[in-house]
Amino acid sequence: MTFSASSPRTSPLAAVTRLFGRMEAGLWFPIGVVLSLFVFFSLSTSAFATLRNFSAVSGQAATLLIVCLGATFIVLMGSIDLSVGAIVLLVGATSITVLNAYDIGYLALPFAALLGAALGTVNGLIYAKGRIPSFIVTLGTLSVFSGIALTLLDGRAIQFNAVGFEDIAIGQLIPRLPNIALWAILAWAVMVFIGARTRFGRYMYLIGGGEQVARTAGVPVTRYKVYAFAISGLLAGLGAILAVARLGAAGPSLGSDLLLNSLAAIVVGGTSLAGGVGGVHRTLIGVLIIAILDNGLNLMGVSQFLQMIIKGLVVIAAVLVRRTSDAGQVVK
Amino acid sequence: MPSSYQQEEVRPESDAVGNLLEVRALSKSYGPVKVITDVSFDVPRRSVVTLVGENGAGKSTLFNILSGLTRSDSGELRLAGNVYAPTSNSHAAMLGVTRVFQEQSLVHNVPVYENLLMGEEARFTRFGQWVDRKAMIAAAHRIIEEAGLDVDVRRQTGDYDFSTRQSIEIARACLTPTLLRGLKEPLILLDEPTSALDRRDEEAFFDLVRKVRAYGSLLFVSHRLSEVLNISDIIYVLKDGEIVTRVTPSETNEHELHGHMVGRERAADYYYEGRQNARSDKSPALKVEGVRLSAGGPVVDLSVQPGEILGIGGLLDSGKSELGKAIAGVTPPLEGQVSLGGRPAARPNVESLISAGLGYIPAERLVEGIIPAFPVGWNLSIGSGDIFSSLLGLWLHRKERRVAQAHIDALAIRSATPGLPMQRLSGGNQQKVVLARWIERRPEVLILDNPTRGVDAGAKQEIYRILRDLTDEGIAIILITDELLELLGLSNRILIMQHGGVTSEIEAPAHAKPEEQDLVARMLPSGKSPRADHPSLKTEFLEAAE
Repeated sequence: MTFSASSPRTSPLAAVTRLFGRMEAGLWFPIGVVLSLFVFFSLSTSAFATLRNFSAVSGQAATLLIVCLGATFIVLMGSIDLSVGAIVLLVGATSITVLNAYDIGYLALPFAALLGAALGTVNGLIYAKGRIPSFIVTLGTLSVFSGIALTLLDGRAIQFNAVGFEDIAIGQLIPRLPNIALWAILAWAVMVFIGARTRFGRYMYLIGGGEQVARTAGVPVTRYKVYAFAISGLLAGLGAILAVARLGAAGPSLGSDLLLNSLAAIVVGGTSLAGGVGGVHRTLIGVLIIAILDNGLNLMGVSQFLQMIIKGLVVIAAVLVRRTSDAGQVVK
Repeated sequence: MPSSYQQEEVRPESDAVGNLLEVRALSKSYGPVKVITDVSFDVPRRSVVTLVGENGAGKSTLFNILSGLTRSDSGELRLAGNVYAPTSNSHAAMLGVTRVFQEQSLVHNVPVYENLLMGEEARFTRFGQWVDRKAMIAAAHRIIEEAGLDVDVRRQTGDYDFSTRQSIEIARACLTPTLLRGLKEPLILLDEPTSALDRRDEEAFFDLVRKVRAYGSLLFVSHRLSEVLNISDIIYVLKDGEIVTRVTPSETNEHELHGHMVGRERAADYYYEGRQNARSDKSPALKVEGVRLSAGGPVVDLSVQPGEILGIGGLLDSGKSELGKAIAGVTPPLEGQVSLGGRPAARPNVESLISAGLGYIPAERLVEGIIPAFPVGWNLSIGSGDIFSSLLGLWLHRKERRVAQAHIDALAIRSATPGLPMQRLSGGNQQKVVLARWIERRPEVLILDNPTRGVDAGAKQEIYRILRDLTDEGIAIILITDELLELLGLSNRILIMQHGGVTSEIEAPAHAKPEEQDLVARMLPSGKSPRADHPSLKTEFLEAAE
């Protein structure tokens, strides 16, 4: 039982100051990390701070961001989605097969989104209705979806032959900005709005902050859990078709790095795995940290293996630092 | 035989006089709520001392302090003359104070002897790893024999019924300190030990108490006053966290004890009894039919009328909280139906009942009632997605803030703003926010489980006033409470529950409230009636928000 000992000094103004204090600790720290990484890599390698490289980074980061958006809601409500990478692989493989067999053109986009949503709904139904921990459910479907996808691909990379389809990803409606990054930023804006301004967003926070409280008060918890997984799947599907368009092909390794990168980006951004704290707006920062780290280390010629080590340490350090800085703030 | 295992002779010390435990000026509060105040008492050597008192009188907190689970704010404890300041349950056990919990702590899927000797395995271990099972079984067998139980220590613990398991646990607490560790004067804390025992085990238990009393002391908490009078040497009565009297069984009787337990001025004003609505013949606002809480348990039927407060009382394990949860559909009952305001009866489901006009306030406020880290406004609008979001699913933040501010003003929720984190409010103000959550929904029926738990006296009265306002508007209230005076003062009608069933119904009109002693007597199991065993009815052990 925790009673705050601050009853004598609860002027409304003090509350506002405290809220700001918490915002700074939670949000400014990852932004600081982004900026320091930026400065560090700019000084270390001349190839980093160039427009060309920013185009490249934004293209690489876009898929990760799109996939992370939905997964952030899942983490926000206190669950976890390990299967996003597998959904990307399966949707990518299916879409490219369909795209090559039928001339559906840009209709591949809604097709991929709906397929992703369907796969996410499967996750959500098993999790919410079957009352199985989401970790287990998505661990299982991770394997199932990957297996189906690899069967479909027969272990090979398939290229698509729809002419001009890659424009949706690598075309540049805005000069220097690949379309995939544009879509990612738009999707981010929409999701930030959903997170902050809608019933769905509010319920995600409530379920993550106190599922028992929400359930006791009559919040349709089960239904919204399914919605969240459906949205996560939908965005993974979108991410998949855009990634395929960008790469020109779907291969067995599509999405394989998303499992770890997505969780790392969400957590580094400041959404707590315990649920109820954080939000989609923060995930952008997490994605930037991961993407800049990847790109900068590559440019510096650091070996892949050392990169893995550094990335892992950065994730742990980022969370560790924030945990101690929040310790006195959030009593929970 | 392993060398480290020594059997101790159980023999009373001859030179022991004075007190084994001395408690001096002990106080403890949670935030603004004082749980125990300036409590002092003694447990003499080789005696049985009992604490009696209502639910929420502070007995559990006192036990938690004595067994090292909580620290007191002030005061001193002395054990056998030395300062006693346990830091954990195991530390307390090391110093010679063991406790039997109301909730069982035995592991079901291991043999009885492992449970009996849990934490003592080191005594039976040779060469670091090798456990001498034979010696363990022999030692465990000795404990069981000493306790007078008919138990095979090699069998799985889960094979035995609830009552036997409770006996095993009591035997462990009473006998291992002396038989294994050679403690000369153990102090054993027993929290309602007999509430789960059947008749046969109860007799064995009383024999065991007499045996242990030959060398150690026992401190009891019990609700069964006849039993208390039988086995105690000294009885202390706790009320509202203070010791009100010390008596010996020879100078008192059950009725007098009841009087001490509840003997508090019941100010009619405090509960606004004058505003109690007369009962009408209107059609019921809520009808509950055939609700069964546990397999083979009794069936509950009840109904509440608009503007009426129906009180439900009973001991902690009477099933009254479970009934509240079942009616609200939070934990749907095994069977039974609920109909709200003349709508067709259906199995209770929390989402549909709430949208039809029911409100439920749970007892465990910090776990089920509020999300402490979230703002007041958010906590107020939980469960009201229909009110605070548009058809398109947009959340109406401005309306949320406005409504929250209106309720903060109307209910005088002190030092609150819509954006303030809930954890910064006192218990009473938090509870007002929870009330506001339901008031905003204009419900037909409210189910309240201990609405004033952890709430200070002033805020309590304000909550009572709010409840009267609600009944004036025709809202029906089911009030489940551990507080006897609240039950009496607020209710139009009182149901008393035991073991998941309603055992009596008492009218409580404003001008002729029933006697407190009468209510207490109805809550207690009548004499030595065969106890229906309800292992499924979880004994709410923690008087959590004391």
